[in-house]
Amino acid sequence: MKAMHRYKKVDVPFELYEIDILNATDDELIAISEDLGLALNLDEMKKIKEYFKKKGRNPYDIELQSIAQAWSEHCCYKSSKCYLREHLFGIEKDYVISAIKEDSGVVEFDEEYAYVVALESHNHPSAIEPYGGAATGIGGILRDVLCMGAQPVALIDPLFFGRLDTPEDRIPKGTKHPLYLLYGVVAGIRDYGNRVGIPTVAGMIFFDDSYLTNCLVNVGCIGIVKKKNVVPSKVGGVGDLFVLAGGATGRDGIHGVTFASAELDESSEEEARGAVQLGNPIMKEPLIHACLEVVEKGLATGMKDLGGGGLSCVIGEMALASGCGAEVWLDKVPLKEEGMAPWEIWISESQERMMLTVKPEHVDEVLYIFQKWDVPATVIGKATADRILRIYYRGYKVYEMEIDFVVKAVEYCRPYVKRKVKAIDETSPPSNYAKVLLEMLGHPNVASKEWVVRQYDHEVRACTAIKPLQGKINREGHGDCAVIKPTDSWRGIAVTADVNPWMTKIDPFWGTASSFDEMVRNLVAVNSIPHSFADCLNFGNPEKPERMGEFVECVKALGWMAKGFGLPCVSGNVSFYNETPYGAVAPTPTLMGIGIVEDIRKAVTSNFKGKGEVVLVGETFKEFGGSLYCAITGQKSTIVPKTSPRRLKKYVNAMLEAFRRFKIYACHDLSEGGLAVALAEMCIGGGIGCSIDLSGLKGEDYVKLFSESNTRWLVEVENAEEFVKFTSEKGVKAYHIGSVEGDELKIKNLLSISVEKLDDAWRNGLIRFTGW
Amino acid sequence: MELEEIRVAVLRIEGTNCEDETVKAFRSLGVYAEAVHLKQFYSDMIKDEEQRSLFDFHCIVFPGGFSAGDYVRAGAIFSARVKSVLKRDLEEFIREGYPVLGICNGFQVLAELGALPGFDEDKPLADKPEMALGINESNRFECRPTFLRHENDGKCVFTKKIEKGKIVMFPVAHAEGRVIFPRGREEDYLERLKENDQIVFRYVDERGNYAGYPWNPNGSIYNIAGICNVKGNVFGLMPHPERVFWRYQHPNWLENPESPGDGRAVFESVIEYLRKF
Amino acid sequence: MIADVYIELKEGVVDPEGEATKKALRLLGFRKVKNVSTRKVFRIEIDAKSKEEAEKEIKEMCEKLLANPVIQNYRIVWIE
Repeated sequence: MKAMHRYKKVDVPFELYEIDILNATDDELIAISEDLGLALNLDEMKKIKEYFKKKGRNPYDIELQSIAQAWSEHCCYKSSKCYLREHLFGIEKDYVISAIKEDSGVVEFDEEYAYVVALESHNHPSAIEPYGGAATGIGGILRDVLCMGAQPVALIDPLFFGRLDTPEDRIPKGTKHPLYLLYGVVAGIRDYGNRVGIPTVAGMIFFDDSYLTNCLVNVGCIGIVKKKNVVPSKVGGVGDLFVLAGGATGRDGIHGVTFASAELDESSEEEARGAVQLGNPIMKEPLIHACLEVVEKGLATGMKDLGGGGLSCVIGEMALASGCGAEVWLDKVPLKEEGMAPWEIWISESQERMMLTVKPEHVDEVLYIFQKWDVPATVIGKATADRILRIYYRGYKVYEMEIDFVVKAVEYCRPYVKRKVKAIDETSPPSNYAKVLLEMLGHPNVASKEWVVRQYDHEVRACTAIKPLQGKINREGHGDCAVIKPTDSWRGIAVTADVNPWMTKIDPFWGTASSFDEMVRNLVAVNSIPHSFADCLNFGNPEKPERMGEFVECVKALGWMAKGFGLPCVSGNVSFYNETPYGAVAPTPTLMGIGIVEDIRKAVTSNFKGKGEVVLVGETFKEFGGSLYCAITGQKSTIVPKTSPRRLKKYVNAMLEAFRRFKIYACHDLSEGGLAVALAEMCIGGGIGCSIDLSGLKGEDYVKLFSESNTRWLVEVENAEEFVKFTSEKGVKAYHIGSVEGDELKIKNLLSISVEKLDDAWRNGLIRFTGW
Repeated sequence: MELEEIRVAVLRIEGTNCEDETVKAFRSLGVYAEAVHLKQFYSDMIKDEEQRSLFDFHCIVFPGGFSAGDYVRAGAIFSARVKSVLKRDLEEFIREGYPVLGICNGFQVLAELGALPGFDEDKPLADKPEMALGINESNRFECRPTFLRHENDGKCVFTKKIEKGKIVMFPVAHAEGRVIFPRGREEDYLERLKENDQIVFRYVDERGNYAGYPWNPNGSIYNIAGICNVKGNVFGLMPHPERVFWRYQHPNWLENPESPGDGRAVFESVIEYLRKF
Repeated sequence: MIADVYIELKEGVVDPEGEATKKALRLLGFRKVKNVSTRKVFRIEIDAKSKEEAEKEIKEMCEKLLANPVIQNYRIVWIE
């Protein structure tokens, strides 16, 4: 404690301090911020001093803590908002019911239903305590979807770790081995997701050295809700009562958001244990049921989950959103442990809690429903007419501030520098094509993720129509998307998660554009119409201009692609400070794409069916920047694949129309490892070979096989010639390159490998580290 | 009994899942089905219109998934709670021949309740568990399709509409599904099960041969996937028939989208049984 | 009174968790590891007139919930 003399205990029968900021010097203001773990800078502290000067009094600890929560990067996006607004927001689509404003995006599914989308990071806690961190990440994202009144129907988990072959002696102090983190995170998602009974249907796992000290755990969720039952994240009106439902409040998770808004270092492990919460799926499951019963009966006027910042954020934001104020009786909050100070109760991030606003006449009915499900629920406050938040504790007023001041926080357009990417291509053909392909298939980024996927219950709720693993039973390959059938109709939701950090690392703009392209390709590959997307932007320290430059380039690319293509961004999350003294993460704009499958009976899977001809759709250029080819061969290229939203749109329209006209047996997008890997994956899933001849295509052989150019698909189609004729009429390039047959992948003059051998390489790529 | 008169209860406690799809499966066949919280059978705080008795129903289902987080052992907490409030009713229910189904976690509950293997017709719930569903040999949760051969000669009321020898695909999703009988008495137990026609489903590979992992996903003795009690009206299995009620829930279903799923016959069988009841 | 109740697998019952842990430890270079087996411990605080009475009650708990006699044994260790 550096500013001890500025803290005065208030004469009340509980712990409450008055913080003398009015007389504090600048140095003391900083000391106060550090002492109390506020993570506020001097400007922000001065702004607070100014505010209290006008009030003519000093703040209590609970007031300062509350501001610190509201102004944290995690809660208010102070570093990212202005760029997001400028480039990404505001893509108008009449089917979007609510984008960005609420905890989750709400989008029309059909006449009766809407789907709900949320995507978030849970990086810092998972780096410290992978099992608990990942589990609570799942818990949090479920609540984000639930609080819109929706039944969660699918979980999606994109994960990023350091290389699994990192030698123990290269692991920096305070960091855990990627394998340990992988085990812990997968187990956390498994144990939580499986126990709450929501299927984990999609995701991705990417290994790169930049994640060694900063693993990334992104969690996404999709829900389904009748449009008439959508519940806003705001107070219904003056006089409404705040009902806090779910688990009791403890000291767990105090300062989680301020912790997530700073760089981790060696000492973080010790200090941060308190910031990692423990989840309880057995509270969550009944909480979901009870909340949905309240929603179904129309008894809640507003609902919001307690996440970062706990009560302090939820009440302020709910009240402000409807122009109300609030009065809170903090001593009503059920506690896990004795002796908690009011400020601790106010900002605790204990899990499994929801806030509902309810008209007074409905309170008894609501409390009965929670009691029936054995979920504690308590009235802790009410909405008032003025825009002021007042908190009482055992009869003493401990907090009185204008909500606008607290919630409408600070905002920075931080300075940034754009990275100059010098075009270099030093690639050359490999000496052995087959060897390169087998190494590619065995690379953990490409190899079978069956070890992970099977540990997740991806079929609970019995709505997973197209599963993450597709093909012959017990010899399945990966699909491009999972498809959920959320209602009784044949309409489905396709979902995919994509980003290519090797590309964004070299060129944040084109890497992000490529990731967007890949997301759209995956959606189209299962015959779904790209409908919306969510982003989770994971970056290093935004106070460093070069990191901010990466962020701005990514956001620009995302905006350019999304606007040009006409795909609305409906929900998102920014996670900065994924940086340690050891380095920052590769720019990682994780994208979660949602497509509408108009009739799931017309969906397409990725494995060869052995019935048709092979057609390559799209053009191949020499674009090896961030490619798997470079990673495997050690060659160098900075030419990250280009794309354009107009070209992508043209191709997508042609593909979707072709799906209607032609019998398409299989379709797969080309991404990491290019054509060669895509062909191999289709063979593996189908347990069948193919004969390919690329001599009709222009260019060097290794480029045709391994380049990762965008906007390309492989299809297995009955009548290849007519298919090619049709697409060329649409101005889309397509090439009949072979047929599905035999038990080998044969590429004329280049390679010939048995499917069994491909399968072996691919299936052992990850489990040689994890064990089977 | 008329179809519309048949009432099915899918039981749940906190942390139960899979009840929605199980209810849906029954309802789509035209019977009344609802998910019933155990509290609705005994708790005073429940409103009158939500209170239930076991005998309001003609079929009881313990659904799959988890219950109470499966802490202690899978199904143990659910089973202990049932024993404390419903033991006598449930015994009478079974004795009278009403059907009871346990899927996955429900099978674990039935094993913990002593309802399976259920050798004693007069005492449908044994005092102590007589079997266990141990941790999978692979030591982890596994969600995967499994092929099952139907081996019952006609005793099990839940599979009467499936011919003997037929191979069906039901998926599994569990961490504790390995059928274990008391050590040293395994042969004796298997003999009795066979003799009484209590073995219902056994894991096989795609060609119909009894095979090891991954076809037998958990290492169950004698590849057992599901068994019934001596009377044939209590049936427990690890794989999930409600997850393959419709064809679109199967893997590789796109070639034949409109045919019924393999699991539907389980629900149809018990409904037919009740109609003749 | 406080007792630790150990739930252990009966001899001969396969212990996949123990086996997997053993394998992992060996892989980490702990080559002297001969065997690993798992136990579950419940710490139970109980009000009772005597240890005998408490022990009787805890035994009942084991039989009713904590252990499945087909695969598990239990052992009570008094802490205080």
